[in-house]
Amino acid sequence: MLLASVLLLAQALAAAELRVPHLNFSDQRLENGLRVIIAPDHSAPVFAISVTYNVGSHSERPGRTGFAHLFEHMMFQGSKNVGKGEHMILIENNGGNMNGTTSEDRTNYFEMLPKNQLDLALFLESDRMRSLAVNQANLDNQRNAVQEERRLGIDNQPYGKAYLEIDNLAYDNFAYKHSIIGSMADLNAATVADVQNFFRIYYAPNNAVLTLVGDLDPTEALEKVKKYFGDIPSQPAPPKPDLTEPEHYGERRETMMDPLARLPMILMAFHTPPGNTADNYALQVLANILSTGESSRLYQHLVKDKQLATSVDTQADMRTGDSLFYVVAVPRPGVKVADLENAIEEEIAAVKKDGVTEAEMQKARAQFRRGQIQARQSDLYTAMRIGEYTVKFNDPDLINTIFDKFNAVTAVQVKDVANKYLIARQQAVVIDLPAKKETAAASR
Amino acid sequence: MKRTLLVLVITVLMFGTCNTTLLAQGMEGSKSVPLSKVVRLNRAPVNKQILRVKLPRPREVKLDNGLDVLVLERHKLPTVAFMLWVKTGALEDPRDIPGLAKFTADMLREGTTHRSSAQLAKDVDDIGASLGASASFGRNVSSVTASGLVENTDRILELMSDVVLNPTFPQDELAKYKKRQLASLQQMRSQPSFLARERFYSVLYGDFPASEVAATPASVNKVTREDMAKFHDEYYVPNNAILGVVGDVQYDSIVPLIKKYFGGWKRQAVSNGKLPPVPKPAKAKVVLVDRPDSVQTNIMAGDQALRRNDPDYIPLVVTNHILGGGPAARLFLDLREEKGYTYGAYSYFRSDVYPGPWIASTEVRTAVTDGSMKALMDEFKKIRTEDVPEKELDEARRAIVASFALSLEQPSTLLHAWLTVDYYKLPQDYWDQYPEEVAKVTPQVVQETAKKYIDLDHLQVVCVGDGKQIKDVLKKYGPLEVYDTNGNKVD
Repeated sequence: MLLASVLLLAQALAAAELRVPHLNFSDQRLENGLRVIIAPDHSAPVFAISVTYNVGSHSERPGRTGFAHLFEHMMFQGSKNVGKGEHMILIENNGGNMNGTTSEDRTNYFEMLPKNQLDLALFLESDRMRSLAVNQANLDNQRNAVQEERRLGIDNQPYGKAYLEIDNLAYDNFAYKHSIIGSMADLNAATVADVQNFFRIYYAPNNAVLTLVGDLDPTEALEKVKKYFGDIPSQPAPPKPDLTEPEHYGERRETMMDPLARLPMILMAFHTPPGNTADNYALQVLANILSTGESSRLYQHLVKDKQLATSVDTQADMRTGDSLFYVVAVPRPGVKVADLENAIEEEIAAVKKDGVTEAEMQKARAQFRRGQIQARQSDLYTAMRIGEYTVKFNDPDLINTIFDKFNAVTAVQVKDVANKYLIARQQAVVIDLPAKKETAAASR
Repeated sequence: MKRTLLVLVITVLMFGTCNTTLLAQGMEGSKSVPLSKVVRLNRAPVNKQILRVKLPRPREVKLDNGLDVLVLERHKLPTVAFMLWVKTGALEDPRDIPGLAKFTADMLREGTTHRSSAQLAKDVDDIGASLGASASFGRNVSSVTASGLVENTDRILELMSDVVLNPTFPQDELAKYKKRQLASLQQMRSQPSFLARERFYSVLYGDFPASEVAATPASVNKVTREDMAKFHDEYYVPNNAILGVVGDVQYDSIVPLIKKYFGGWKRQAVSNGKLPPVPKPAKAKVVLVDRPDSVQTNIMAGDQALRRNDPDYIPLVVTNHILGGGPAARLFLDLREEKGYTYGAYSYFRSDVYPGPWIASTEVRTAVTDGSMKALMDEFKKIRTEDVPEKELDEARRAIVASFALSLEQPSTLLHAWLTVDYYKLPQDYWDQYPEEVAKVTPQVVQETAKKYIDLDHLQVVCVGDGKQIKDVLKKYGPLEVYDTNGNKVD
């Protein structure tokens, strides 16, 4: 008893020293519901703005897959006081950069600019929140751009379709089953009326979080936000998507033929609890121990020692709803797919039986801590993360506390979550094989 | 959060300035589509003042063994990063072992006189640090980088010096490394972007080593540990290197620590071989890499351009910025925002100790290959023959100078800027003078620069796509050569 307590005390002391610098921010709502988070950082004469909307591909209905992302493109096509393409021109010509991204659970728009252009950024973001202007020609144009984006990233790439298929196979709930990029047929079916409806329902101040991080005076910045956004009317709350995944009763498996691939790929996905839960954090620690860094288990065992794989990676994602733990591996030429798959299953079985070591836990904590501190270098990335944590988990302070959550995970929890979630009943497997006879034969 | 594994987030732009005059032709041939025109309303509040910044300057010291050390203090976060540039790299690869500089750099982490490969990996990961080495094709630099939390500075430097000074290139690790490399070379051939780069650099540089973009299976099989040890012994010497450090460090305490770990590194004479001559630019042509299942055509068009210390460097920065430097530039606005042919169209250039390439590139659906080729050629001709409007030029100059403020945020970008000054022997006030040099670029300079470097008589165009659909189209744009995806000439 005495020894155990001393050990615990020593661990508690060690844990107490592990800190990430605290970020101070203000958090308030305008009368129209817009949540405004401001974090001053005077280390460089720049600032970042991120506007995160509580809408993503999970909000889409059948027949309109890819719409949230297509809509994101439409947000750069002009509003009442900003011409088509002018947004990009104005940001670029004033030394800034900008973009927008769409995930399953949120859509964000962001800019990074020299500190003397705060009015410009607020004007552009508020004008499109208030008065998006759409027409058929701009919709057709961006539909083309998005379809090229799909070809570039999916249809013209090895493994592109397999990356989409693993989610399709793993989920029954439509919200996460379909891809963010959407099908070509659905993209073709989208109309100007769809765009207008989507804007009305989801692009309201009460469904958005505005984050400012950088070299600015918080009081003055808030006054400006009120000036530009204060008169945008709120809208009825959008419908909440049902993200619950029905119970699964067995492994799902599919083999695909891929004319663009030269080596096979194994993709596995296991169902896990939503992001920002104790079990999800434990699974993130597990993913780290399995595949982060060259000393990780899968790299050392499967890539280096047994030479079965050319690459192997794991990732525990953090969705608002039911999430996935992915394993993706490419066998070395001449290695049978089944042999690599068995070896991965053996590694998972070893964690289930023997757990992970305290040394591995400490290494994972060191890597998370370094990662969390490094991530603060960029004001833009900080602004994006705060927006995402707020929209998905209603907790902007995760920017400060997420490291503590990783840090609190114990080796016992890691072993428990492996046994609880990395099981065949919760698993989907996609095997992607090169379709050409000559290359396929060489790899089997 | 790492987002690397699967494509989970998609974006408006892939990376990231303006003009709006060209008329759109009908899309995909005859089908007439209303024009989606870029429009400027000029109602947004813009602060006319450019925020002038001065890049913070590192303190420099030369160690007794000849190692140049740059120290740049940045105190926002408790982090530190070291970058070592050994001034010999892929351009010195022997002709029969393309990739030797890369193999040598890659193998630094696979064993030292003090540590096995696995021990090195563990020691780096245990403190959450990063340690990497690489030798990029087309450059004459082998670089080693190490970074992490400032509390681990001593440990990070010790690990870095161990791989730089004491690598053993162990035989068993080399055997495994070769198998991984062979698999990765096979994987690369499935990427259309790789096939485009491979062919493009080959047509631009012929027998000059900048034509290499990857090792070959033959060179992987051929290379021995002795080849690497020799490359390391000859070139990884302190008087042939620059070590930069940036982060939450103090000059007075970091220099002694650097001396502790790198002071014992032995000076010796270095004979960087003379580079062979760069071939004369070839006559304009089009090269097709036939990739039968392609649904897009990857287009790379370009010329040999200039050396890093060429006085035309800044004029070309401005000219390229107008043509294709970002999402407000002519190529993007025309091919994507008005014509809808592509997700992105950009131009860029690399300059080095030899005339690096200027490149325009885009990926378009197969059916609009012809329209895209025409649009590219029209834009090239326009910037060569028409005066750039004063307003457009003004905006480009403003964009370039104003963006300096953003570079202050990233310590590694700042350090890289000063390593560049040292490596290419640019004037010490280079970055202070840069904004004035940008301001001097006139419409006449832009046109002269475009005529010189966007040289249509010697333009090399490489297209990767479905040959049966695009071969005849491409013949309209110059004499055509055809290759397969394994790099063999077939026509």
